[in-house]
Amino acid sequence: MLGRVGGAGVTAVAVARYLLADAVRSQRVVLPVVLQVAVLAVLFGGDPGRLPAPWGASVLTLYPVAAWLALTIAHTEDPVQRDVTVAAAGGVGPVAAGTLLVALAGDLGLAVLSVLWPVVVTPYPASPSIILTGLLAHLAAGATGTAVGLLCARPWIRRVGRSLLVGAVVVIATAVQPWLPPVGSTVQALADGAGPGAVVLPAALALLLAVLVTWASSVRARRD
Amino acid sequence: MVRVERVHKRYRNGPPVLAGVDLALTPGAPAVLAGGNGSGKSTLLRIVAGCALPTVGRVTGRPPVVGYLPDRFPAQLRLPADAYLRHLARIRGTPPDPGLLERFGFTGPRREPMARLSKGNAQKVGLAQALGAGVGLVVLDEPWAGLDVAAADTLADLLDEVAAEATVLVTDHTGRAARLPGARHLRLRDGRVEDAPAPAAAEPTVAIVLRCPEPEQVRHRLGVPGLVDGGRLHLRAAPTESDPLLFAALRLGCSVESVGPA
Repeated sequence: MLGRVGGAGVTAVAVARYLLADAVRSQRVVLPVVLQVAVLAVLFGGDPGRLPAPWGASVLTLYPVAAWLALTIAHTEDPVQRDVTVAAAGGVGPVAAGTLLVALAGDLGLAVLSVLWPVVVTPYPASPSIILTGLLAHLAAGATGTAVGLLCARPWIRRVGRSLLVGAVVVIATAVQPWLPPVGSTVQALADGAGPGAVVLPAALALLLAVLVTWASSVRARRD
Repeated sequence: MVRVERVHKRYRNGPPVLAGVDLALTPGAPAVLAGGNGSGKSTLLRIVAGCALPTVGRVTGRPPVVGYLPDRFPAQLRLPADAYLRHLARIRGTPPDPGLLERFGFTGPRREPMARLSKGNAQKVGLAQALGAGVGLVVLDEPWAGLDVAAADTLADLLDEVAAEATVLVTDHTGRAARLPGARHLRLRDGRVEDAPAPAAAEPTVAIVLRCPEPEQVRHRLGVPGLVDGGRLHLRAAPTESDPLLFAALRLGCSVESVGPA
């Protein structure tokens, strides 16, 4: 039997499961997760005030944390090991897509944690609308971080150290611009106490960015 | 049929590595690619396996399931060998083949990180993932490197089995591929591939180390090429000539330090 079960989507999920299994075993993904949890503990340990404004800080933290996570996952495999996976997956596309899936799953997990933490431990009211605002705001920052992380990883930048440095510069330069979508404008919207309508577009834009970077990476990787 | 059509490859700022490779590969018998160091064998194999695009030209007819073994299988993952093979089979969309590792005589830990495997055992994991069930194209870069004798024989048998249904392309520096039955021999030279005569299989030889009072003189008296190192004389001989040689050396006052396969 010289066949293959399932299409590119099934292959991408299989790649994602493989990368996730290896990432979970390595200690490299622990640090960014610990950083987010530590910020949440400090932020919501005292009296943070009414939601959604305090989420501005956790959103701003999730941006570099998501970039760090994506970068780590993109560098899980040595370039030669990556060749083996690409040959098995039948191309670079499903491997790049699998990397994106793992990174976005990490973003989603940290976003849900960051949103639920103050809802559970602080006495302030959290309507479904406020919760949705918080979730979309965190997803906007997470997906943007993923896009930045993937753009600073292989095949664009081969060395992990240089990747981290460039990633840090990009994140710091873009996070502090309150007018700049998706992250800056999202943080500004949270500070203004805006509803979910103000963060839907940034979240969609962030997701689009992450998908575009993934596509560009797979085109770039085939040239090597 | 896998067709490599007018393939050129040039890395950034480098000279062309491949300069118009045309090649048609079919199932039936393995194709063995020879060529000097840096001649572009690994580059061509990566392109055939689908890991890289050629600068010019194309590869057509690649089957859906490809098994690829790189020049040195890195195995720096935290995943254990068993889990790695399960994941790779799932990525290929084929059933896992847990018996393959046993067939290669894998002796390493199956439930500890692959990063702890010895070179030979890591190579066996690399081969097991490349040769698993349902594979239509097998591309192996120096597959015999680091294998023990039993595993090397197993690999030759397996390639014979796999090549019946799948297209097989291998490179080899150990001389093992020369003994593959029915293999097609190719040579990569100046960026192009041409058919080549089958290389003569190397005769097995015996390595002899002697301790002699005057090694240089003994070497001269024996009339064979050899290497003098301190008080020792290192010789190589065909198995049929080793006994007379040893006899003569003992009569010249030498003592035998070791005799073994070269």
